[in-house]
Amino acid sequence: MSRETPLTAVARPALRAGVLLVYIVGVEWARALVGTAPYAAIPALVLGGLALGVTAWGWSQSSLGLSSSRLGLRLLGGVAIAAVLLLPAAVRAGAAPMLPVSVAAAAVVVSVGEEIAFRGALFAALEQVGGAPLAAIGTTVAWTAAHALSHPPEFLGAVAAAGLLLGLWRAVCRDLVAPIVGHVIADLAL
Amino acid sequence: MKKAALLAAAAILYAGMAWMVAPGFYDGFTPPQPYNFVCPPPQAGANLPPTSGHLVIKVIGGVSDANSAFTDDGQVVIGFLPGSFKVNPGQTTITVDITPVSPCPKPAGLHFSTNAYHVTADATLVKPATLVMVYSNLTTDPSFVYRAQSGDGPWENIGAASQARLWTIDTKTSTLGYFAAGFPSNAVSPNGAGSGQQVLPFIVAALIAAVLLAGIPLTIIRRRQAAGGGDADEKEDEEP
Repeated sequence: MSRETPLTAVARPALRAGVLLVYIVGVEWARALVGTAPYAAIPALVLGGLALGVTAWGWSQSSLGLSSSRLGLRLLGGVAIAAVLLLPAAVRAGAAPMLPVSVAAAAVVVSVGEEIAFRGALFAALEQVGGAPLAAIGTTVAWTAAHALSHPPEFLGAVAAAGLLLGLWRAVCRDLVAPIVGHVIADLAL
Repeated sequence: MKKAALLAAAAILYAGMAWMVAPGFYDGFTPPQPYNFVCPPPQAGANLPPTSGHLVIKVIGGVSDANSAFTDDGQVVIGFLPGSFKVNPGQTTITVDITPVSPCPKPAGLHFSTNAYHVTADATLVKPATLVMVYSNLTTDPSFVYRAQSGDGPWENIGAASQARLWTIDTKTSTLGYFAAGFPSNAVSPNGAGSGQQVLPFIVAALIAAVLLAGIPLTIIRRRQAAGGGDADEKEDEEP
Protein backbone atom coordinates (compact mmCIF):
# COMPACT_ATOMS: atom_id res chain seq x y z
CA MET A 1 0.00 0.00 0.00
CA SER A 2 1.60 3.25 -1.11
CA ARG A 3 1.48 6.41 0.93
CA GLU A 4 1.63 9.82 -0.78
CA THR A 5 4.34 12.08 0.63
CA PRO A 6 3.83 15.86 0.80
CA LEU A 7 6.36 16.24 -2.00
CA THR A 8 4.54 13.95 -4.38
CA ALA A 9 1.26 15.57 -3.40
CA VAL A 10 2.57 18.84 -4.83
CA ALA A 11 4.88 17.51 -7.51
CA ARG A 12 2.36 15.32 -9.26
CA PRO A 13 -0.23 18.07 -9.87
CA ALA A 14 2.57 20.48 -10.80
CA LEU A 15 3.95 17.97 -13.30
CA ARG A 16 0.50 17.42 -14.73
CA ALA A 17 -0.08 21.16 -15.03
CA GLY A 18 3.30 21.59 -16.71
CA VAL A 19 2.66 18.85 -19.23
CA LEU A 20 -0.78 20.25 -19.98
CA LEU A 21 0.62 23.75 -20.41
CA VAL A 22 3.31 22.61 -22.85
CA TYR A 23 0.82 20.48 -24.78
CA ILE A 24 -1.80 23.23 -25.04
CA VAL A 25 0.62 25.98 -26.05
CA GLY A 26 2.30 23.57 -28.47
CA VAL A 27 -1.03 22.73 -30.13
CA GLU A 28 -1.89 26.41 -30.43
CA TRP A 29 1.47 27.29 -31.96
CA ALA A 30 1.32 24.34 -34.33
CA ARG A 31 -2.21 25.36 -35.33
CA ALA A 32 -1.04 28.90 -36.05
CA LEU A 33 1.95 27.75 -38.11
CA VAL A 34 0.17 25.01 -40.06
CA GLY A 35 -2.76 27.31 -40.74
CA THR A 36 -0.61 29.59 -42.87
CA ALA A 37 -0.05 26.84 -45.46
CA PRO A 38 -2.28 26.84 -48.54
CA TYR A 39 -5.71 25.29 -47.92
CA ALA A 40 -4.68 24.41 -44.34
CA ALA A 41 -6.47 27.17 -42.40
CA ILE A 42 -9.76 25.38 -41.80
CA PRO A 43 -8.30 21.88 -41.24
CA ALA A 44 -5.80 23.42 -38.81
CA LEU A 45 -8.61 25.10 -36.89
CA VAL A 46 -10.70 21.94 -36.67
CA LEU A 47 -7.83 19.58 -35.82
CA GLY A 48 -6.37 22.12 -33.39
CA GLY A 49 -9.72 22.49 -31.66
CA LEU A 50 -10.13 18.73 -31.37
CA ALA A 51 -6.57 18.34 -30.08
CA LEU A 52 -7.30 20.95 -27.41
CA GLY A 53 -10.55 19.21 -26.50
CA VAL A 54 -8.60 16.04 -25.73
CA THR A 55 -7.26 17.74 -22.60
CA ALA A 56 -10.65 17.17 -20.95
CA TRP A 57 -9.83 13.47 -20.74
CA GLY A 58 -9.45 12.30 -17.18
CA TRP A 59 -11.19 15.27 -15.56
CA SER A 60 -14.62 15.13 -14.00
CA GLN A 61 -17.28 17.48 -15.33
CA SER A 62 -17.37 19.40 -12.10
CA SER A 63 -13.61 19.94 -11.99
CA LEU A 64 -13.81 21.33 -15.52
CA GLY A 65 -16.60 23.68 -14.47
CA LEU A 66 -19.17 21.98 -16.66
CA SER A 67 -22.61 21.42 -15.24
CA SER A 68 -26.22 21.73 -16.30
CA SER A 69 -27.31 23.13 -12.95
CA ARG A 70 -28.44 26.76 -13.18
CA LEU A 71 -28.00 26.41 -16.92
CA GLY A 72 -30.06 29.51 -17.61
CA LEU A 73 -27.73 31.66 -15.58
CA ARG A 74 -24.66 30.04 -17.09
CA LEU A 75 -25.93 30.70 -20.62
CA LEU A 76 -26.87 34.22 -19.66
CA GLY A 77 -23.38 34.69 -18.26
CA GLY A 78 -22.01 33.61 -21.62
CA VAL A 79 -24.16 36.17 -23.38
CA ALA A 80 -22.91 38.83 -20.97
CA ILE A 81 -19.28 37.84 -21.58
CA ALA A 82 -19.85 37.99 -25.34
CA ALA A 83 -21.33 41.47 -24.98
CA VAL A 84 -18.27 42.62 -23.06
CA LEU A 85 -15.86 41.06 -25.56
CA LEU A 86 -17.63 42.59 -28.56
CA LEU A 87 -18.51 45.97 -27.09
CA PRO A 88 -15.22 47.78 -27.85
CA ALA A 89 -15.34 46.72 -31.51
CA ALA A 90 -19.00 47.72 -31.80
CA VAL A 91 -18.49 51.12 -30.20
CA ARG A 92 -15.03 51.98 -31.44
CA ALA A 93 -15.49 51.27 -35.10
CA GLY A 94 -19.21 51.01 -35.67
CA ALA A 95 -18.25 48.27 -38.07
CA ALA A 96 -16.01 45.27 -37.67
CA PRO A 97 -14.91 42.22 -39.57
CA MET A 98 -17.38 39.38 -39.75
CA LEU A 99 -16.14 35.82 -39.95
CA PRO A 100 -16.59 34.26 -43.38
CA VAL A 101 -19.27 31.57 -43.29
CA SER A 102 -16.78 28.97 -44.51
CA VAL A 103 -14.75 29.40 -41.32
CA ALA A 104 -17.64 29.67 -38.88
CA ALA A 105 -17.97 25.95 -38.08
CA ALA A 106 -14.23 25.63 -37.59
CA ALA A 107 -14.34 28.69 -35.33
CA VAL A 108 -16.88 27.00 -33.08
CA VAL A 109 -14.70 23.89 -32.77
CA VAL A 110 -11.58 25.83 -31.90
CA SER A 111 -13.39 28.17 -29.48
CA VAL A 112 -14.86 25.27 -27.53
CA GLY A 113 -11.51 23.44 -27.64
CA GLU A 114 -9.66 26.48 -26.31
CA GLU A 115 -12.05 26.96 -23.42
CA ILE A 116 -11.92 23.29 -22.45
CA ALA A 117 -8.12 23.37 -22.59
CA PHE A 118 -7.38 26.71 -20.92
CA ARG A 119 -10.25 27.47 -18.54
CA GLY A 120 -11.15 23.78 -18.16
CA ALA A 121 -8.26 21.35 -17.87
CA LEU A 122 -5.34 23.74 -17.37
CA PHE A 123 -7.31 25.79 -14.85
CA ALA A 124 -8.20 22.64 -12.90
CA ALA A 125 -4.60 21.42 -12.95
CA LEU A 126 -3.19 24.76 -11.80
CA GLU A 127 -5.88 25.09 -9.16
CA GLN A 128 -4.70 21.82 -7.62
CA VAL A 129 -1.20 23.25 -7.47
CA GLY A 130 -1.82 26.71 -6.07
CA GLY A 131 -5.52 27.47 -5.85
CA ALA A 132 -7.83 29.59 -7.97
CA PRO A 133 -5.66 32.74 -8.05
CA LEU A 134 -2.72 30.81 -9.52
CA ALA A 135 -5.08 29.11 -11.95
CA ALA A 136 -6.58 32.40 -13.15
CA ILE A 137 -3.17 34.03 -13.60
CA GLY A 138 -1.50 30.92 -15.01
CA THR A 139 -4.18 30.33 -17.63
CA THR A 140 -3.99 34.00 -18.60
CA VAL A 141 -0.23 33.79 -19.15
CA ALA A 142 -0.54 30.53 -21.08
CA TRP A 143 -3.44 31.91 -23.15
CA THR A 144 -1.43 35.00 -24.07
CA ALA A 145 1.66 32.97 -24.95
CA ALA A 146 -0.45 30.61 -27.03
CA HIS A 147 -1.67 33.53 -29.17
CA ALA A 148 1.78 35.03 -29.67
CA LEU A 149 2.19 33.45 -33.09
CA SER A 150 -1.30 34.05 -34.39
CA HIS A 151 -1.76 37.66 -33.32
CA PRO A 152 0.29 40.81 -33.94
CA PRO A 153 2.11 41.98 -30.79
CA GLU A 154 -0.10 45.02 -30.35
CA PHE A 155 -3.14 42.74 -29.88
CA LEU A 156 -1.60 40.69 -27.08
CA GLY A 157 -2.63 43.16 -24.37
CA ALA A 158 -6.27 42.71 -25.33
CA VAL A 159 -5.74 38.96 -25.62
CA ALA A 160 -4.31 38.85 -22.09
CA ALA A 161 -7.13 40.99 -20.70
CA ALA A 162 -9.71 38.72 -22.31
CA GLY A 163 -7.96 35.69 -20.87
CA LEU A 164 -8.00 37.27 -17.43
CA LEU A 165 -11.71 38.05 -17.70
CA LEU A 166 -12.55 34.51 -18.77
CA GLY A 167 -10.24 33.02 -16.14
CA LEU A 168 -11.72 35.15 -13.37
CA TRP A 169 -15.22 34.14 -14.38
CA ARG A 170 -14.13 30.51 -14.16
CA ALA A 171 -12.59 31.12 -10.74
CA VAL A 172 -15.36 33.22 -9.26
CA CYS A 173 -18.39 31.42 -10.67
CA ARG A 174 -16.87 27.91 -10.84
CA ASP A 175 -18.27 27.79 -14.36
CA LEU A 176 -16.96 26.97 -17.83
CA VAL A 177 -20.26 27.10 -19.71
CA ALA A 178 -20.34 30.90 -19.83
CA PRO A 179 -16.74 31.27 -21.09
CA ILE A 180 -17.50 28.73 -23.83
CA VAL A 181 -20.69 30.50 -24.88
CA GLY A 182 -19.09 33.94 -24.73
CA HIS A 183 -16.00 32.83 -26.64
CA VAL A 184 -18.01 31.12 -29.38
CA ILE A 185 -20.30 34.11 -29.91
CA ALA A 186 -17.39 36.54 -29.96
CA ASP A 187 -15.36 34.47 -32.41
CA LEU A 188 -18.34 34.03 -34.70
CA ALA A 189 -18.98 37.75 -34.71
CA LEU A 190 -15.36 38.72 -35.25
CA MET B 1 -20.36 41.66 -4.19
CA LYS B 2 -16.57 41.41 -4.06
CA LYS B 3 -16.68 38.79 -6.81
CA ALA B 4 -18.88 40.97 -8.98
CA ALA B 5 -16.50 43.90 -8.48
CA LEU B 6 -13.57 41.71 -9.52
CA LEU B 7 -15.33 40.65 -12.71
CA ALA B 8 -16.38 44.23 -13.43
CA ALA B 9 -12.78 45.37 -13.02
CA ALA B 10 -11.61 42.66 -15.42
CA ALA B 11 -14.29 43.70 -17.93
CA ILE B 12 -13.20 47.33 -17.70
CA LEU B 13 -9.54 46.35 -18.10
CA TYR B 14 -10.44 44.33 -21.20
CA ALA B 15 -12.46 47.19 -22.66
CA GLY B 16 -9.52 49.52 -22.18
CA MET B 17 -7.00 47.15 -23.73
CA ALA B 18 -9.28 46.26 -26.66
CA TRP B 19 -10.03 49.94 -27.24
CA MET B 20 -6.35 50.55 -27.94
CA VAL B 21 -6.26 48.28 -30.99
CA ALA B 22 -8.43 48.66 -34.08
CA PRO B 23 -11.08 47.49 -34.52
CA GLY B 24 -11.17 46.65 -30.82
CA PHE B 25 -11.31 42.93 -30.37
CA TYR B 26 -9.46 40.24 -28.53
CA ASP B 27 -9.36 37.16 -30.69
CA GLY B 28 -11.07 35.93 -33.78
CA PHE B 29 -9.46 35.09 -37.05
CA THR B 30 -7.46 38.09 -37.97
CA PRO B 31 -4.99 38.48 -40.79
CA PRO B 32 -1.41 38.20 -39.54
CA GLN B 33 -1.04 41.95 -39.58
CA PRO B 34 -3.27 44.96 -40.15
CA TYR B 35 -3.73 45.97 -43.78
CA ASN B 36 -1.96 49.11 -44.91
CA PHE B 37 -4.44 51.19 -46.86
CA VAL B 38 -3.81 53.96 -49.37
CA CYS B 39 -7.32 55.15 -48.59
CA PRO B 40 -8.21 53.73 -45.17
CA PRO B 41 -11.88 53.12 -44.34
CA PRO B 42 -13.21 54.85 -41.22
CA GLN B 43 -13.01 51.65 -39.16
CA ALA B 44 -9.31 51.13 -39.89
CA GLY B 45 -8.02 53.18 -36.97
CA ALA B 46 -4.28 53.81 -37.07
CA ASN B 47 -3.01 53.11 -40.56
CA LEU B 48 0.44 52.80 -42.04
CA PRO B 49 1.00 53.61 -45.71
CA PRO B 50 1.45 50.57 -47.95
CA THR B 51 4.94 49.81 -49.18
CA SER B 52 6.31 49.13 -52.65
CA GLY B 53 8.34 46.18 -53.87
CA HIS B 54 11.37 45.73 -56.09
CA LEU B 55 12.87 42.59 -57.59
CA VAL B 56 15.80 41.89 -59.84
CA ILE B 57 15.45 38.62 -61.74
CA LYS B 58 18.57 37.03 -63.15
CA VAL B 59 18.76 36.01 -66.78
CA ILE B 60 20.63 32.72 -67.06
CA GLY B 61 21.49 31.40 -70.48
CA GLY B 62 19.08 33.84 -72.08
CA VAL B 63 16.19 32.66 -69.89
CA SER B 64 14.72 34.65 -67.02
CA ASP B 65 14.95 32.82 -63.71
CA ALA B 66 12.00 31.89 -61.51
CA ASN B 67 11.37 34.39 -58.73
CA SER B 68 8.68 36.29 -56.84
CA ALA B 69 8.27 40.01 -56.41
CA PHE B 70 6.49 41.27 -53.33
CA THR B 71 5.84 44.47 -51.49
CA ASP B 72 7.72 44.91 -48.23
CA ASP B 73 4.48 44.61 -46.25
CA GLY B 74 3.58 41.41 -48.12
CA GLN B 75 0.28 42.73 -49.43
CA VAL B 76 1.06 41.78 -53.03
CA VAL B 77 3.11 38.86 -54.29
CA ILE B 78 3.62 38.06 -57.95
CA GLY B 79 5.40 34.86 -58.90
CA PHE B 80 7.19 34.22 -62.17
CA LEU B 81 8.12 30.88 -63.71
CA PRO B 82 11.43 30.30 -65.52
CA GLY B 83 11.28 31.97 -68.92
CA SER B 84 8.38 34.21 -67.95
CA PHE B 85 9.87 37.21 -69.71
CA LYS B 86 10.96 37.88 -73.29
CA VAL B 87 14.63 38.66 -72.79
CA ASN B 88 16.15 41.36 -74.97
CA PRO B 89 19.57 40.63 -76.50
CA GLY B 90 22.35 41.33 -73.99
CA GLN B 91 19.94 41.69 -71.09
CA THR B 92 21.30 40.06 -67.90
CA THR B 93 18.63 41.05 -65.42
CA ILE B 94 14.96 41.95 -65.38
CA THR B 95 13.64 44.46 -62.93
CA VAL B 96 10.12 44.22 -61.51
CA ASP B 97 8.55 46.99 -59.46
CA ILE B 98 5.31 47.06 -57.50
CA THR B 99 3.94 50.45 -56.46
CA PRO B 100 0.73 51.26 -54.58
CA VAL B 101 -1.43 53.59 -56.65
CA SER B 102 -2.41 56.91 -55.14
CA PRO B 103 -4.98 58.43 -55.31
CA CYS B 104 -7.21 55.36 -55.10
CA PRO B 105 -8.96 54.54 -58.37
CA LYS B 106 -12.72 54.63 -58.06
CA PRO B 107 -14.05 53.10 -61.26
CA ALA B 108 -17.75 53.27 -61.96
CA GLY B 109 -19.54 50.01 -61.21
CA LEU B 110 -16.70 48.51 -59.19
CA HIS B 111 -15.72 48.59 -55.56
CA PHE B 112 -12.12 47.80 -54.68
CA SER B 113 -11.45 46.05 -51.37
CA THR B 114 -7.69 46.35 -51.72
CA ASN B 115 -5.29 49.05 -52.74
CA ALA B 116 -4.55 49.26 -56.44
CA TYR B 117 -0.98 48.36 -57.36
CA HIS B 118 1.02 49.12 -60.45
CA VAL B 119 3.29 46.25 -61.43
CA THR B 120 5.94 47.00 -64.06
CA ALA B 121 8.92 45.18 -65.57
CA ASP B 122 11.57 46.15 -68.08
CA ALA B 123 10.75 43.12 -70.24
CA THR B 124 7.58 41.71 -71.71
CA LEU B 125 5.76 38.99 -69.81
CA VAL B 126 5.26 35.93 -72.02
CA LYS B 127 4.11 33.35 -69.45
CA PRO B 128 1.24 33.83 -66.99
CA ALA B 129 2.35 35.03 -63.56
CA THR B 130 0.62 34.16 -60.32
CA LEU B 131 -0.69 37.19 -58.48
CA VAL B 132 -1.63 37.00 -54.79
CA MET B 133 -3.25 39.97 -53.09
CA VAL B 134 -3.91 40.24 -49.39
CA TYR B 135 -7.10 41.98 -48.31
CA SER B 136 -8.25 43.41 -45.03
CA ASN B 137 -10.72 41.90 -42.63
CA LEU B 138 -12.18 45.39 -42.30
CA THR B 139 -13.48 45.54 -45.83
CA THR B 140 -15.86 43.47 -47.88
CA ASP B 141 -14.24 40.35 -49.26
CA PRO B 142 -13.30 40.77 -52.92
CA SER B 143 -14.77 38.47 -55.53
CA PHE B 144 -12.29 39.04 -58.34
CA VAL B 145 -9.01 40.59 -59.28
CA TYR B 146 -9.21 43.41 -61.80
CA ARG B 147 -6.50 44.57 -64.18
CA ALA B 148 -6.03 47.75 -66.17
CA GLN B 149 -3.35 49.19 -68.39
CA SER B 150 -3.91 52.65 -66.93
CA GLY B 151 -4.81 53.85 -63.46
CA ASP B 152 -7.93 55.38 -64.99
CA GLY B 153 -9.07 52.04 -66.41
CA PRO B 154 -10.84 50.41 -68.05
CA TRP B 155 -10.66 47.60 -65.49
CA GLU B 156 -10.90 44.03 -66.70
CA ASN B 157 -12.03 41.13 -64.52
CA ILE B 158 -9.26 38.51 -64.56
CA GLY B 159 -11.00 36.12 -62.18
CA ALA B 160 -9.91 34.54 -58.95
CA ALA B 161 -8.76 31.07 -57.98
CA SER B 162 -10.31 29.26 -55.04
CA GLN B 163 -9.14 30.76 -51.78
CA ALA B 164 -5.93 29.04 -50.70
CA ARG B 165 -5.34 31.15 -47.61
CA LEU B 166 -7.59 33.28 -45.50
CA TRP B 167 -7.60 36.96 -46.39
CA THR B 168 -5.93 36.45 -49.76
CA ILE B 169 -7.19 36.32 -53.32
CA ASP B 170 -5.10 35.01 -56.16
CA THR B 171 -5.27 34.66 -59.90
CA LYS B 172 -3.06 34.41 -62.95
CA THR B 173 -2.24 37.28 -65.23
CA SER B 174 -0.76 37.23 -68.70
CA THR B 175 0.21 40.90 -68.70
CA LEU B 176 1.45 43.34 -66.12
CA GLY B 177 -0.23 46.62 -65.33
CA TYR B 178 -2.55 47.91 -62.63
CA PHE B 179 -4.19 45.42 -60.28
CA ALA B 180 -6.82 45.64 -57.56
CA ALA B 181 -9.20 43.14 -55.97
CA GLY B 182 -12.84 43.99 -55.51
CA PHE B 183 -16.34 43.27 -56.68
CA PRO B 184 -19.07 44.80 -58.83
CA SER B 185 -20.80 47.58 -56.88
CA ASN B 186 -24.19 46.00 -57.38
CA ALA B 187 -23.05 42.58 -56.17
CA VAL B 188 -23.31 41.00 -52.76
CA SER B 189 -20.06 39.60 -51.40
CA PRO B 190 -20.07 35.83 -51.94
CA ASN B 191 -19.38 34.91 -48.33
CA GLY B 192 -21.54 37.57 -46.82
CA ALA B 193 -18.69 39.12 -44.88
CA GLY B 194 -19.30 42.62 -46.04
CA SER B 195 -23.03 42.54 -45.63
CA GLY B 196 -22.55 41.80 -41.97
CA GLN B 197 -20.11 44.54 -41.19
CA GLN B 198 -22.66 46.95 -39.83
CA VAL B 199 -24.44 44.22 -37.88
CA LEU B 200 -22.04 44.13 -34.95
CA PRO B 201 -23.56 47.05 -32.99
CA PHE B 202 -26.96 45.38 -33.30
CA ILE B 203 -25.54 42.03 -32.16
CA VAL B 204 -24.04 43.66 -29.07
CA ALA B 205 -27.25 45.58 -28.39
CA ALA B 206 -29.21 42.34 -28.64
CA LEU B 207 -26.79 40.58 -26.28
CA ILE B 208 -27.09 43.36 -23.72
CA ALA B 209 -30.86 43.37 -24.05
CA ALA B 210 -30.92 39.60 -23.57
CA VAL B 211 -28.85 39.89 -20.40
CA LEU B 212 -31.12 42.58 -18.99
CA LEU B 213 -34.42 41.06 -20.04
CA ALA B 214 -33.61 37.53 -18.94
CA GLY B 215 -31.21 38.33 -16.15
CA ILE B 216 -33.44 40.52 -14.02
CA PRO B 217 -36.36 38.06 -13.78
CA LEU B 218 -33.96 35.14 -13.31
CA THR B 219 -32.25 36.92 -10.46
CA ILE B 220 -35.57 37.85 -8.81
CA ILE B 221 -36.83 34.27 -9.09
CA ARG B 222 -33.64 32.88 -7.63
CA ARG B 223 -33.68 35.34 -4.73
CA ARG B 224 -37.27 34.38 -3.94
CA GLN B 225 -36.37 30.68 -4.11
CA ALA B 226 -33.34 31.26 -1.90
CA ALA B 227 -35.43 33.23 0.62
CA GLY B 228 -38.08 30.53 0.71
CA GLY B 229 -36.00 27.37 0.62
CA GLY B 230 -32.57 28.07 2.09
CA ASP B 231 -29.40 29.24 0.35
CA ALA B 232 -29.34 26.96 -2.65
CA ASP B 233 -27.14 29.52 -4.43
CA GLU B 234 -24.34 29.14 -1.95
CA LYS B 235 -24.31 25.37 -2.27
CA GLU B 236 -24.33 25.56 -6.04
CA ASP B 237 -21.56 28.13 -6.03
CA GLU B 238 -19.36 25.58 -4.41
CA GLU B 239 -20.30 22.79 -6.73
CA PRO B 240 -21.95 23.89 -9.92
